[in-house]
Amino acid sequence: MQKQHLQTFAEDCAALLREVTDGRPVNRRAFMTACGLLGVSAGLFRVTPVHAAGREIVLVNWGGDAVTAMAEAFAQTYMADNPDAEVIVDGAGPSSGAIRNMVESGRITWDVADRNIPASLELGRLDLLEEVDYSIVDRDKVRPEHAGQWGIGNYIFSNVLAWDTEAFPERAPQSWADFWNVEEFPGRRTLRRHIDGQLEAALMADGVAPEDIYPIDVDRALDKIRQIKEHTIFWGSGAESQQIFRDREAVMGNLFNTRASVIRRETGGVIDFTFTEGIVWPGAWIVMKNNPAGAAVWHFIASTQEPERQVKLFELLGNGPINPEASALVPEELRALDPGSPENYARQIPADGEWYAEHSADVLNRYFEAIS
Amino acid sequence: MAVAGETVAAPAPPRTRLLGAERVNLVYWALVLVPLVVLVVFYIYPLSRVLLISVTEPRLGFGNYVRIVESTGVRRVIWTTTWICLVTSTLSLVLGYLLAYAILHMRSGWQTWMMVGVLLSFWVSILIRAFAWITLLQTRGLVNNFLLDAGLISQPLALIRNELGVIIGMVHYMVPYAALPLLASMRSIDARLVPAARGLGARPLQGFLYVYLPLSLPGIIAASILVLIFSLGFFVTPALLGGGRVIMLAEYIALQVNETLAWGLGTALASSMLITVFLMLVVLARAVSFRRLFGAA
Repeated sequence: MQKQHLQTFAEDCAALLREVTDGRPVNRRAFMTACGLLGVSAGLFRVTPVHAAGREIVLVNWGGDAVTAMAEAFAQTYMADNPDAEVIVDGAGPSSGAIRNMVESGRITWDVADRNIPASLELGRLDLLEEVDYSIVDRDKVRPEHAGQWGIGNYIFSNVLAWDTEAFPERAPQSWADFWNVEEFPGRRTLRRHIDGQLEAALMADGVAPEDIYPIDVDRALDKIRQIKEHTIFWGSGAESQQIFRDREAVMGNLFNTRASVIRRETGGVIDFTFTEGIVWPGAWIVMKNNPAGAAVWHFIASTQEPERQVKLFELLGNGPINPEASALVPEELRALDPGSPENYARQIPADGEWYAEHSADVLNRYFEAIS
Repeated sequence: MAVAGETVAAPAPPRTRLLGAERVNLVYWALVLVPLVVLVVFYIYPLSRVLLISVTEPRLGFGNYVRIVESTGVRRVIWTTTWICLVTSTLSLVLGYLLAYAILHMRSGWQTWMMVGVLLSFWVSILIRAFAWITLLQTRGLVNNFLLDAGLISQPLALIRNELGVIIGMVHYMVPYAALPLLASMRSIDARLVPAARGLGARPLQGFLYVYLPLSLPGIIAASILVLIFSLGFFVTPALLGGGRVIMLAEYIALQVNETLAWGLGTALASSMLITVFLMLVVLARAVSFRRLFGAA
């Protein structure tokens, strides 16, 4: 009920837009732009705008800075190479629920979405995604584990340990064992309100060797998280995790490296972080089953594999290049922030997409039960 | 066509009557039809789809409803939701009662300003309010800083990111929803009755407890059910003020629909919630007339 309250005005405007455009040839780009301005997803309309087919490609991601960054790094560069093509970036948030709803209803407005390898396996097995066309997309431009059946790696991000250096002037926490040690490192913690990268941290804190993390011993991980839940704020969105540190509400956290980099810059290093024992994830492009742009989307995806464009996204957003070739092009002064650089990658644990695809839904419910 | 033909061919006397009561009836039904169609298309149809998913996914039957009863995780969410809603409703009701009573017994100039105050709060979005509470109540927020500086506390109080924070945020939102129906109900109480009781020897408290309170009882029942129903659906407030650990039904349903894709369980929970609310409304309708509740009578 509350959420609908917030949306009422935008939805109303959207309805109006729909009335105005209904039945007339409307350019899909104009339509998407209007939707973007209203802060609603074109998916809400459950209509395919007239002239949707052809050379227009809709990329959907999670909004905020990622919209402008992906537009600059990927969309504009692709349009410069292909003058008759249009790439529209929509920040509506490609949640599994939204994708399932769109594909099953048959009214598909998105082509490619910014998700990750585990999600590609989960959704692909539900027959909601197109298989990656490796005759167009280059499998060799990513590490082998980042080229999936339904998803192709698009960038790298990590769950990292961040801390407040003023809270621990003598000795900085350097491991998840320190994170769980509330006697020597007193103060509030913050963990993600999601299992990704949190269960692994708990197991490492409990003494499991990095190479033995998978398959995850869920009971053991959840017990470990229960131990510190009284000391922990569970963040929902990346922005929230950043705000918790800005307000100095927590002294240690398990954050995305992108957010940790921004806070470190903002605070002039008062909040610091390390890639040691980080959990590294491949973001991935996934393509909706029967997407409106058809095979053209694979040419666009292939273009995002270019090292220069990967580096551009990293500079704008902090998401590490997934193409190992691109890591070498990262400017010297930014190299320490790249989760995919050879040094940083070696200090982290690669997440096991297969395990997540298999267990995510069930374990997520158990995680919610454990922290509440 | 045949039916229409018969009507036209009907004998004269009924036709003259049609210009009277029956014509009014026709206009009446036409006016009712429009909202009825809107209701069916935009509410009844989607809701029936939701009900259908709850008994067809992942397989036909009542498995999802059995899961609601059996799963400890779901039971925990239901318990948290019930507990928080009951506390919120009780506090909102007490505060709303005091507020309504105060407004009613103010001089009329003050009355207007207090009403404006209550109604203004409706215009502030729930998201903005949650952020405002965070700014006020967090560890280094205004309230804790003030109390620390004044020497009243030595450690910052944990006012948000727990159940207390959720309840503060929800009560703040719900007080007007309690106060307005109470005000409508109190307005209909004859103002001479308490003075009459006093004249017959009742002490002030007795006058209130034995005369005023029983007379305002329909308003109390109406307000409490209304507030309880609204509280059940809270989403933003627990998510932001609960520190991620206070998980209520609305958020749990969103998790099932968006993340785990357990649409069967999600819709079963949503349907159960809907049925609960419907039953509460039935009770409410028995306790008080809806027309009076919303001040139409």
